Amino acid sequence: MDKDFDERPGWVRLPGREDPPYPRGTASARAGGVRRVRRASNWTAAALIAGVAAATGYFAHHPPPVTPATSAVTTVPGGTAAGPHKPSLNVPVATSSGSGVTVSTGPHGVKTYTYRGDN
Amino acid sequence: MDTVTRRLPVGLGWTLLDIGTATVGVAERDALGTSARVVAWPPYNLARVLAIVDIELGRLDEQASRFRADSEISAVHRSARTAHILSEGLAEAIAVALTAARWTGGLVDPTVGGALSALGYDRDFAAIRQGRARPLASACIPGWESVRLDGRRLRLPAGSRLDLGATAKGLGSDRAASAAAAAMTVGGVLVSLGGDIAVAGESPSGGWPVLVTDEPEPLSPADARSRRSAPGSQRPAGQVVRLAAGALATSSITCRQWRGGGQLLHHIVDPRTGRPTEGPWRTVSVAAANCAEANAASTAAVVAGDQAPAWLAEQGLPARLVARDGTVRFVSGWPEADDGLVEAPATCRMPAGPRGRGAPR
Repeated sequence: MDKDFDERPGWVRLPGREDPPYPRGTASARAGGVRRVRRASNWTAAALIAGVAAATGYFAHHPPPVTPATSAVTTVPGGTAAGPHKPSLNVPVATSSGSGVTVSTGPHGVKTYTYRGDN
Repeated sequence: MDTVTRRLPVGLGWTLLDIGTATVGVAERDALGTSARVVAWPPYNLARVLAIVDIELGRLDEQASRFRADSEISAVHRSARTAHILSEGLAEAIAVALTAARWTGGLVDPTVGGALSALGYDRDFAAIRQGRARPLASACIPGWESVRLDGRRLRLPAGSRLDLGATAKGLGSDRAASAAAAAMTVGGVLVSLGGDIAVAGESPSGGWPVLVTDEPEPLSPADARSRRSAPGSQRPAGQVVRLAAGALATSSITCRQWRGGGQLLHHIVDPRTGRPTEGPWRTVSVAAANCAEANAASTAAVVAGDQAPAWLAEQGLPARLVARDGTVRFVSGWPEADDGLVEAPATCRMPAGPRGRGAPR
């Protein structure tokens, strides 16, 4: 992208394009730069490979929770495709009361009424 | 009986409750002058959900509580100016209140704040119950149409006081439930603020069981069982329904009662008169796509009186109305049987446009 290209037949410098601001180096300097880039690329590739391997190993032992299925095809009745099963509740878990009375049902069916004075 | 098992290390005093099943996590704390209850499944989601609910309730309290001197809305009320730049949260809360007012033809109106204060409801309700009765004052209601909200810019008539009670708790439940569900990868959550309930995520099998009741005073368990009755009977102690999606809210005149000027007063004010409403319904429960809408509709129905069932039916909102004599009326598919599924509409009925429709005047 510098003088080398200008010297090749058929290549035309783009209008307005200036020479690079840095001094032109020799062929050996360019070769050294290329070697540095390749070394860096090799290290980057090695790091990526190691990272992917580590992540694969981690998720093999710690599978992430599955997002609730939205497709009828993958929905499992009573539960999600691979997540916990839906609970089946037989006691009220909350009270909607204009009087502000909170009614709680305990383990033995005992109801407790608590006055909260709201709503 | 609820058993306190341990206090959670998160938030502001949540108490874990044992309701007899380990398949959901349940916690409760006082919030916004009432109780907040959160139910989550799988139960391991509960701690994260409570942290999120804490943030949402804290924000709403700081924005919209007219009983907190340091809240944003109190600062608006104290200001001598009529033009204000609001936080996004308060702007949204007021926008929802104004939309509800438009939708209901003014039967719920956020400008009743002054009238409520004049009636004596000027403090947290627990303080009112403990205080002495005071003579009644009068206050004009400027009307929701006098309020101008443009984005975050609010213009309020001088001396006006807003009360967002008809929508704010519902909005808080909506915000908290949706924020909690967004942070969960599996399962569902129920958030109840003083009985205004929003659910999000996946519901339990068959829906969330919720007791709808309008008991005016705490009862003994034996009394409660004896008063539990079939729909349509004279003294309904309550009904268990299942909510799979959307929201459910209840408004009632049977509590939040206090004495003032020698009269028994309650907190649902008819904006047309500035006085506690005197309609035929003592309690109305409504299911809707979101809790702010359910909250507004239930309050509007109490104020609307005889017109309420027709309006609710026109809106397609399942509702349960309890008359002053205890007679129960069911509207728009609200299940008459115990343990029935309440199918809240999937879409909002409250229009976002400039004009409401079919208000129950």
